[in-house]
Amino acid sequence: MNGRLVPRLLYGIGGAAVFLVLSSVFLLAIGRPPLATLATMAVYAFGDGYSTSESLVKATPILLCALAVILPAHLGLITVGGEGQLYFGALLGTSVVVNFPGGPMVALLPAMLLLGALGGAVWSGIAAVLRTRCNVNETISTLLLNYIAVLLVDYAVYGGWKDAASLGWPATIQFPPAATVPSLFGTRVHLGLIVAVVAAVVLHVAVNFTRWGLGLKVLAGNRKVGAMVGLSFASNTLIVMALGGALAGFAGISETSAIQGRLQSGLSVGYGLTGFLVAWLSGQHFLRAVPIAIMIGGLIAAGDALQLYSKIPSASATILQGLLFAAALGSSGLLGRREERHG
Amino acid sequence: MSAPLVAMFGVCKRFGAVTACDNLDLEIRAGEVLALLGENGAGKSTAMKVLYGFYRADAGEIRLDGKPVSFGSPREAMARGIGMVFQQFSLVPALSVLENLLAAYPAAPWLQFRGRARIAQALGWLERLAPALDPTRPVRELAVGERQLVELAKVLNLNARVVILDEPTSVLTPAETQRLYGFIRSLVAAGKAVVLITHKLADVAACADRIVVMRDGRAVDRALARDRTPEDLVEAMVGRDSLSVIAAPPPVHESAPVLEVRNLSANVQGTQIRDVSFAMAAGEILGIAGVSGNGQYALAETLAGLAPITGGDVVLEGVSLASCRRDGAISDRVAYIPERPLDNAVVADLDLGFNLALRRICMLRLFPDRRVMMEQADDLIRRFDVRPPQATLRAAALSGGNLQKLVIARELSDTHRVVIASYPTMGLDVLAAEAVYRSLFEQAACGACVIWISEDLDDLLAYAHRIAVIHGGRIVGIVRRQDASRQLIGRWMAGMEQGKAA
Amino acid sequence: MDDLVVVGHWTAAMLRSSTPLLMVTLGETLTQRVGIINLGVEGQMLGGACTGFAIAAVTGDPLMGFAAGAAAGALLSSLHAFLCLVCGANQIGSGIAVWTLGLGLTSYFGRPFVGDKVRGLAPMGGPDLANVPLLGPILTQLTPTAPAALLLVVLVGVWLYRTSTGLNWRIVGESFEAARAIGLAPRMVQLSGIVAGGLFSGFAGAILSVDYTQTWANDMTKGRGFVAVGLVIVARWNPFFVLPVALIFGLSEAATLRLQAGGVSLSPYLIGCLPYAVCLACVIFASMRESRYGGMPAELASVFGRRSG
Repeated sequence: MNGRLVPRLLYGIGGAAVFLVLSSVFLLAIGRPPLATLATMAVYAFGDGYSTSESLVKATPILLCALAVILPAHLGLITVGGEGQLYFGALLGTSVVVNFPGGPMVALLPAMLLLGALGGAVWSGIAAVLRTRCNVNETISTLLLNYIAVLLVDYAVYGGWKDAASLGWPATIQFPPAATVPSLFGTRVHLGLIVAVVAAVVLHVAVNFTRWGLGLKVLAGNRKVGAMVGLSFASNTLIVMALGGALAGFAGISETSAIQGRLQSGLSVGYGLTGFLVAWLSGQHFLRAVPIAIMIGGLIAAGDALQLYSKIPSASATILQGLLFAAALGSSGLLGRREERHG
Repeated sequence: MSAPLVAMFGVCKRFGAVTACDNLDLEIRAGEVLALLGENGAGKSTAMKVLYGFYRADAGEIRLDGKPVSFGSPREAMARGIGMVFQQFSLVPALSVLENLLAAYPAAPWLQFRGRARIAQALGWLERLAPALDPTRPVRELAVGERQLVELAKVLNLNARVVILDEPTSVLTPAETQRLYGFIRSLVAAGKAVVLITHKLADVAACADRIVVMRDGRAVDRALARDRTPEDLVEAMVGRDSLSVIAAPPPVHESAPVLEVRNLSANVQGTQIRDVSFAMAAGEILGIAGVSGNGQYALAETLAGLAPITGGDVVLEGVSLASCRRDGAISDRVAYIPERPLDNAVVADLDLGFNLALRRICMLRLFPDRRVMMEQADDLIRRFDVRPPQATLRAAALSGGNLQKLVIARELSDTHRVVIASYPTMGLDVLAAEAVYRSLFEQAACGACVIWISEDLDDLLAYAHRIAVIHGGRIVGIVRRQDASRQLIGRWMAGMEQGKAA
Repeated sequence: MDDLVVVGHWTAAMLRSSTPLLMVTLGETLTQRVGIINLGVEGQMLGGACTGFAIAAVTGDPLMGFAAGAAAGALLSSLHAFLCLVCGANQIGSGIAVWTLGLGLTSYFGRPFVGDKVRGLAPMGGPDLANVPLLGPILTQLTPTAPAALLLVVLVGVWLYRTSTGLNWRIVGESFEAARAIGLAPRMVQLSGIVAGGLFSGFAGAILSVDYTQTWANDMTKGRGFVAVGLVIVARWNPFFVLPVALIFGLSEAATLRLQAGGVSLSPYLIGCLPYAVCLACVIFASMRESRYGGMPAELASVFGRRSG
């Protein structure tokens, strides 16, 4: 075991180093001092209580979307549908609020959240059914479904759900307090974060220590042998995709309710894609995804702050994410090749 | 005696701790068939792959026409006139015969519209070997025997002076084998050198001029074919007078059949079995012979309950298989040792402990106890001599023989009513094969019905109570061991006549 | 006569919409034929659109824009090649990384160009041909990129199926072992396939921004790259079939624009789902029939493949 730990650390550090070099190249290209800017970003991300809370706010939907990728990955499915599930979950959850704006919190809030999760589960379930019945590759179907879900939300907020009082801005009514997800410690960080972390732990235990999780491993490794011992790929595909979708859908509705306060166009700034990235960076590991999601949440929050204070467009955060992903893929790929040769 | 075309001196090849070729000396002469004889794993293929440039030798020298050469790739060897027809053909199934030939033909035109004469040249050898073959057909539609001829044409197109054939007759019907022997003789008459890698004495008897016997990577005997008897060769191959005799399983009492297969039909991944019927008593061993690719896999999968039945039924102890739909899951009463275990019997990325517990997965507790699982695995590994004896290893890390032992440890550690073993000794050396037979016969002695699919007619004739032959997805004949003969079974294998069930 | 003019208009609209998609699908077909899946074509197309637009705006020459776009696509694709071939990274992940970078870089550096206009290529026919039945609208609305794309379909198809180089590429995509047996270097061929795909997708993006819309907007490809990856499967990895498949998508996009523009009471956003739904339907149809027709290059199958017997 020791013989594998040292190379892993080295390759990990190497990947991080490559990322720093590439980021510096980018920052130099836009005329900014690399180290100073990176340091500023670190401060914007976790420098004080407020910054940290903003990073956690961003981290919540990212972590949920990451879990939505990691769970199907344990069955060997590669889904990039977090964005679409998030949007559709927001859509379905908002339908409760729009139709029953005066309802009591004890009924409205759970119904909204439940329907949000259901929406995500359904959206992901479509891809699952297409995979098991029609043999459609889930990566392609989820990618296409993303675009459709975004358009459906646009349809709602530009059309029937448009709040007359919003003066032409495509959005629904403001969510009443009864439909607002409670926040923690007086910051913008909300209940969703707790749900996300709990979900990560529960899924980790379920997949690694239960009979069901073992069944997933078998099916992922060899579907035919799995069928031979009585496991069903079709049922399990539906389960993992629906569960993952439910988490992403919950991310959508909780983001809408707690942070945005209303359903509007442009609900997500690529949380689905970022979730995918976090899932891969964590090596499809539920627990590792938590700190990594927080770190990436910090990156995005810092990107927003850079746009606000340093006039660097927030697309820089996307570029940095891409560089980070590329560096991580490169180093883990090389590590894998080395392990094949020596292991 | 003329100078040899190819001479190998002191060639060594090691793979990690395993020595595949040990100080090997070999001579290949033009106009002559050299048989490289030996058991599985003796190093015959490896030696020729070193010559062919597939592997680099760790030591030793190779001379072509008296001059030292070292081929870094098969391409270089082909350019110098050495061609090899592998057991695993290097044809691309999705492409047509013509495309496969053109790809390997150095003089092929770049734009196919403009080089009709050269395309005709590329087809020259194919027309001689298989005149009825349509070159526009995709290779995946061809039978194994036809593919081998295409592969041979590919090699001959390169004006090979040395043609190496690796276990060519293992996939052919007796008639196709005779045809191949004819081609070999005509190649040699035309002045080429042919090296025949084989473990079958029949091949040697039919066409070898000289023989080199290999064992454990060394050449242990060198002689002209006429100077050796089959017994001499067997002794050289295995190092003993004859194979140790395993106790033949006891004869079966005439009793009520335990397993009845009635007009069974199924379609497994495109291969069909039709109207298969036979009955087995407890403790009976039924051998199923046939050329590979005639439905053995489909039959094994259907009998194991893993493939949907389209017609007929399998009745085990009065319970019908067709009626209890378990959606491709195997019954507890059936043990199944499939062919190609890495693909069909284990999960390669999981460790041995998990793999050994696979059959019981649906009965585990919600939070399975890993420790107990590993202890049970260790016990099985010890009993069945799986090496290396580490239950935490991934199944993919095991060699072919040990993987087979692992599967057998899982399947045969309990008693079952039916045991289906598909090519159980494929790739195993003699000792390991003996251990497999012992396990199978133990199961029979405890009353199981053993269905044994094998390509080795000698083993079936020695140990099975009855032998059935499968051809084109049908059982064309069943015969008791006492009444069986190689000629009869060979005719059935070629589909030449129907037999009566015995 | 009017009917022919209408048909002509629709044909022209269909061809205009299809041309960028046709190019990027052709490129991805070549890449997948050598056994590599590149989801980064979306990012490459964006890169080509942005760079092409920028160069065209700065130099005033649309052809320079096309060349620059193709180069940008090739550059991004070489990252995918580096990650997959040299580092052995997972192809899906690498593609998403390239997409992310393409998205981020074009969002960032394309900002100054948002809303600008460039001069595209001139249409093939002058305005006096407008009323010629059937051909009139086609000649007056289409630029030379459309027939160039059609010609490329034929050239790529002939190259793939009737030349030795094409045969070699197909062999690499089917079996590394067979490729090595005839002396090819599979990784080098895969590199060529990936870069070729990059050139095509970058060119396609440039056509989209410089020729089709003559403008640049953030994330303007809207998933066409992913649609292309799906359409490659629908076209069964056959360059000739890419044409009808791309035309179907182009037709649905043209229909979308017409419906959105012309008095249909349905929300434009709902109508906008049509092209994606059509693509998904095609992929479903093709995937269900795949078991009967096969056709996926074998080495590509192993990217998705686990041992399933």
